[in-house]
Amino acid sequence: MSSPSMLHREADAPGQARRLSAPVSVSARNWGWRHADRAQPALWGLDLDIRAGERVLLAGPSGAGKSTLLYALAGVLHEDDEAYSSGELLLDGTPVAQGRGLVGLMQQDPETQVVQARVGDDVAFGAENLSVPPEEIARRIVDALDAVGLDVPLEHPTAALSGGQKQRLALAGILAMGPGLVLLDEPTANLDPAGVLEVRDAVIRALDATGATLLIVEHRLEAWAPHMDRVIVLEPGGGIAHEGTPDELFGPGAVRGELISAGVWVPGYTPAIEARPNTGSSGALLLEAGSLAVARKRGGPVAAGGLEMRVAAGEAWSVRGANGSGKSTFALTLGGLLPQASGTVLATAELAAGSEARPYHWRATELVGRIGSVFQEPEHQFVTNTVAEELAFGPAHAVKPGTREPLFTQPEIESRVESLLARLRLGHLAEANPFTLSGGEKRRLSVATVLASSPQVLILDEPTFGQDANTWRELALLLREELAHGTAIIAVTHDADFARALGANEFVLDAPGGRDGNPETGARPGLLQADARGGASFLGRANPLAKLAAVALATIPLVASMDWVSSSLVVLATILALPLAGLSIPRFLARGWPLLLAALFGAWGTALVGNDSGAVLLDLGIFDITEGSLAAGAATGMRAFAVAIPAVLVLFTTDPTDLANALAQKARLPHRFVLGALAGMRLLGLLIEEWTTLGMARRARGVGSRGSVGQRMRANLGQVFGLLVQAIRRASRLAVTMEAKGFGTNARTWLRTSAYGRRDAAIVAAGLLLGAAATWAALALGTWNLVWT
Amino acid sequence: MSTTNQPAGPKTATTSWRVVDIVIAAVIAVSSGVIFWAWNSTHHLLDFLFLAFPPSTALVSGMWLFPAVLGALVIRKPGAALFCELVAAMVSALMGSEFGLTVLTSGLIQGLGAEAVFAAFRYRKFNLPVALLAGAGAGLFGSVNDTFIFRWYPEYTTGMLFAYIAFMTISGIVIAGLLSFLATRALAKTGALGALASRKAATEPIL
Repeated sequence: MSSPSMLHREADAPGQARRLSAPVSVSARNWGWRHADRAQPALWGLDLDIRAGERVLLAGPSGAGKSTLLYALAGVLHEDDEAYSSGELLLDGTPVAQGRGLVGLMQQDPETQVVQARVGDDVAFGAENLSVPPEEIARRIVDALDAVGLDVPLEHPTAALSGGQKQRLALAGILAMGPGLVLLDEPTANLDPAGVLEVRDAVIRALDATGATLLIVEHRLEAWAPHMDRVIVLEPGGGIAHEGTPDELFGPGAVRGELISAGVWVPGYTPAIEARPNTGSSGALLLEAGSLAVARKRGGPVAAGGLEMRVAAGEAWSVRGANGSGKSTFALTLGGLLPQASGTVLATAELAAGSEARPYHWRATELVGRIGSVFQEPEHQFVTNTVAEELAFGPAHAVKPGTREPLFTQPEIESRVESLLARLRLGHLAEANPFTLSGGEKRRLSVATVLASSPQVLILDEPTFGQDANTWRELALLLREELAHGTAIIAVTHDADFARALGANEFVLDAPGGRDGNPETGARPGLLQADARGGASFLGRANPLAKLAAVALATIPLVASMDWVSSSLVVLATILALPLAGLSIPRFLARGWPLLLAALFGAWGTALVGNDSGAVLLDLGIFDITEGSLAAGAATGMRAFAVAIPAVLVLFTTDPTDLANALAQKARLPHRFVLGALAGMRLLGLLIEEWTTLGMARRARGVGSRGSVGQRMRANLGQVFGLLVQAIRRASRLAVTMEAKGFGTNARTWLRTSAYGRRDAAIVAAGLLLGAAATWAALALGTWNLVWT
Repeated sequence: MSTTNQPAGPKTATTSWRVVDIVIAAVIAVSSGVIFWAWNSTHHLLDFLFLAFPPSTALVSGMWLFPAVLGALVIRKPGAALFCELVAAMVSALMGSEFGLTVLTSGLIQGLGAEAVFAAFRYRKFNLPVALLAGAGAGLFGSVNDTFIFRWYPEYTTGMLFAYIAFMTISGIVIAGLLSFLATRALAKTGALGALASRKAATEPIL
């Protein structure tokens, strides 16, 4: 069992790691870095001095190497035969490689800033890697959570936090390491305006207390600039272009103009676009939502209800609302990608063009020519290998409603691709792989791919998140052109300037759950997480290794012998043990029915092909079922069931974190691999969610789940590939987070101790006894039937 | 002053695992677990195809083997095949598997089959023939485990058992070997493998 109160140290902590670091100075001497997969260095000839305790904002156009500098300082860039540095990069006068524990790093994607499943464990992770004594870690956890204002229980699941809360949790983990330099890489780019301020305030408050040096990279400078001592503007491929106080650089003048033309969001600047007059509804009505309630899952909790919306041609709508108010779910439902929970989403005769009126029931190929949905993550919607194919895909697959006739002719498709490439300045990239584009290019492409099949309704989810000012302006102009051509636009956006540029009507969703929690993406409990009742049960408080050993011991006779007596005994014992796992029979069946089904399949197969003997019970032509084969089938099915169900006792009562702690501390498996696997498993719920999102994102591109076996197979393989790309991208960021938190060295301390007790001895003994009893009973009744003879 | 810290000569591929190798391997394995989970709930729908000759179910068993080959092709470190297959098995066991905890042993043995092939090439070759051989290795080890160690099919005749082994080996070659090889090249083209030794997989010779 494990508990935070039973403190345990595995290794001696190095003396310097026990203390919180004093503020650290940074200097670069003619420093540069070339990434392995790039021809040009990301940074070259950089000379830089940052005083201990100084707060510095790094700005510059994308591609100027801002993030590279942060990663180098965090010690997560490694030289190999293709990646290398030049010059010197120093922390307090010593090379960064020796700076372990001095530096903390936070990245942009909240999901990959969290390493552990529980809040307390996650804050402790970095300090454990620095071998801070557990009793000291316990103190630091409380202080750090307090400093970032995150008032949740230590056992609270990290998956249930909102994006802003996750970033504050990441900051708490950094503070618990006691670093002298804090590096923030676009820490608020994925957050809504309230989340931005929440994280900004937590950072400033915490640094006021520790005095650590701060280096931050941000796109949107307004929230941060007033708190900074200095701004450094980097030059792409070179050194420093400008430096000075925020007032010097951002005040009216040549530098401000230069930054604006590079797409930097300098404070107080919004790209100049004359506001589009809101002309009111003038075009034909296209789409209507009536008394609509929306939910992420069929039969799942309702995210928002009572929604009424009438969308007409040439009209723009902005959908606003706090986190968790169901904005995205509403957009997906309007887009024909999710079924409504109740109420209606109906296309008018104008849009339905004589076919079915409910968009959700359209085939994907019928959808793309009528309603286009642009997802928040552009990569979710890429389905081909080149930019040009990507643009041609939608129009090539679009069909006339209710038919299988193509909507566009080949010459039409080619001319659409040509004109979109030119309009979006993607012409030079026509043959590039879409995944290799820059952030702004990906965003432009994802909008263009959906526009390519000229839908009459265009739905966008947070199109301006993380975009520089130039891309922002291009998007706004592009969408205005579409509006002028009579397309209706619905944009889920927090960006009031963007809504104004589109002349959008406002649609505001009330937040049912308030800002805390994240009902929209779901708290994702259940999967790979011990059931609450299971965790508190007799077995839930046992050491996972004892449970595994007991199940293995009881399974040995089942593997060795094919007979119904030993199998039945194990099944019976498991059912009797269900209360020890806090399980009732119905709850067990709710989770275990696929196992029962699989056992039945096995029994059926054996009954069909098993050695025939005795009377024929059922004749199916080539196969028949006889008394003999039926008995063999029963034995096979019972054995399969008996092999499967004891594991349910383990999985219902075992927290993966406890299992990992036991494997690393008690089974002495290398902790780097055990904790790496555990961190990967934490992404499981996220990946399952991503799988669902990918399915919807691809439907919005015209990739249907209906069609011939070959088409479905190809669609599924494409979706698997999309999942792998996203998984590897997330894993790369998660690895940076873990390494920046000192993970990967040999010695570490453990906040939670894995221990054996009497309970565990009793469990192992019970497993041994059951295995012996099953063997004895089968031998005594003469059914023992060794499979290897 | 210009000190370039560029290494003097080409370094040999390092065999030690970096944090990024471990985490990406784990996440590939976990994604495979998700795919197993989707596969688990659908593959029995295909069972009717194999009714005529039950050992032919092994023709789709390569679906259980691909994490080993994919993991090794992407990570290119000793133990990657074994680690990915084991963690994928662990995930499917934790999500509820019809094979119970024996899935861990199966994962270990299947992973060893692929690992043995990569080891035989001293972790230096990751081209198509090696990938196909590794798929075959995983299929061979896995099917011998199913038929002669765990004996999941005691009702089969010896001929059927060997047919099962042949089918699963073929499945390993095609699904685990070929598809993993193609997937690795496609992944390299997206730039997602930039942090790994396989970052140039798309431009390497196929043979």
